[in-house]
Amino acid sequence: MRVVVDLATCQDHGQCAIAAPEAFRINDAGALEYDGSPGEEHREHVEEAADVCPVQAITIED
Amino acid sequence: MTPSPATPTAGVPYFDISDPAFSVRSEEVRRAREEGWYARTNYGLAVLRYDEVGRLLKHPKLAQGSARWPAHHGITGGPFAAWWANWVLNKEGDDHHRLRRLLNPAFSRRMIAPLVPRFQALAGELVDGFREPDRCEFVAEFAEPYAARVIAIMLGLPEEHWREIARDSATIGLAMGVTIRADLPRIEAALDRLYGYVDEAVRDRRREPRDDFVTRLAQAQSEDDRLSPEELRDSLVLLVFGGFDTTRNQLGLGMRTFLDHPGQWRLLAERPDLGGAAVEEVMRVAPTTTWVTREAREDFTFEGLDIAAGTTVHLFTESAGTDPRAVPDGSFDITAERPPHFGFGGGAHHCLGHFVARGDMSVALPLLARRMRDPRPGGQARWLPFSGNTGPVELPVSFTPDQGVSA
Repeated sequence: MRVVVDLATCQDHGQCAIAAPEAFRINDAGALEYDGSPGEEHREHVEEAADVCPVQAITIED
Repeated sequence: MTPSPATPTAGVPYFDISDPAFSVRSEEVRRAREEGWYARTNYGLAVLRYDEVGRLLKHPKLAQGSARWPAHHGITGGPFAAWWANWVLNKEGDDHHRLRRLLNPAFSRRMIAPLVPRFQALAGELVDGFREPDRCEFVAEFAEPYAARVIAIMLGLPEEHWREIARDSATIGLAMGVTIRADLPRIEAALDRLYGYVDEAVRDRRREPRDDFVTRLAQAQSEDDRLSPEELRDSLVLLVFGGFDTTRNQLGLGMRTFLDHPGQWRLLAERPDLGGAAVEEVMRVAPTTTWVTREAREDFTFEGLDIAAGTTVHLFTESAGTDPRAVPDGSFDITAERPPHFGFGGGAHHCLGHFVARGDMSVALPLLARRMRDPRPGGQARWLPFSGNTGPVELPVSFTPDQGVSA
């Protein structure tokens, strides 16, 4: 699975890290870090992360 | 809010934010914003500039600031304290994330989008029902019934109950005031009635699941985890309360803002596709939530300022949104590119219902612009203080009715 976050849109709210901690994380500086190719077993969580992002900055490309 | 030992510091502006005459849009706040990024208040700090508000909103050393509000007023037991403690807003860390994970999907844009045409039809019905063809009291005839009926639609409650929903939500709103203790019996009676509505809706959906919001929350599941019956009813009542006041107030603030910008209102009537941008621009310059409250979890230093554990920090959303460092042109323009506003808060506690609010207001405003041409003040308005959660209580508006001739 390929995941892209539009970092120009992302506001580091971190709702994705709540939905899919396997792929998204807010670091100690308060900024988003993410895994662009999380395992297929996390698809459900990652889709939920994309769905609930307040600024809709997450795209799942395959 | 914890009154923190705000020792007057030379050169740092000071506001008494509990004075009803204090206004977040006053000249003194504008001046203070030019002097520095923060001010002191009788309840901790006020943060005034866009950049600092944005960073502190999501700062890991700050927690949401309202969890201990009832306890500060001696309310430690009973139904109100129990409800408050169960708010997703008043939880932190793993407890917060668990609840948020269960609640979030039902509020996603995908789930809310199918309701938006119904919201638009409701807006039309309300304008059709104005008592006079060319004037209205905007709060009583539009903002209040719209906000309450949107919630009834969301929860699948009978829409004719909107007056009770509105009244009980307003009564619970008394809990945000300093007279919370004296008002507690009324607040708990209103809470009990709202529980009655949501319990009935939940019982109904458990018996007969539907493709709707309450059913989705009742069935919400993350791995093997589910909302407990208490969490479900507490969250539904929070939705009623949290969605009603804010939407009513924000619509009133929107109408008032456009009265000063007739060209923008005409443009919105011609370009309903600008509805979403209009909501964002209104919330940038006139958010109902004029500050977001946080509390320092531990001692930390930010931009050279030592902030002690327990300090309350008020993030001034309107002052941030109109900060010339972030928006140099100073205009109100629904076609302009703007940085994101903070009217829905941010971070882990970002407003849960923002897709609903954005969905309902983005169709209401263009419809109003089309139906209420050339609007102007129609009498004396009455306002809540310009602090905390604000908005008009009465807003008479005169206008030219749409003749139904499409251009």
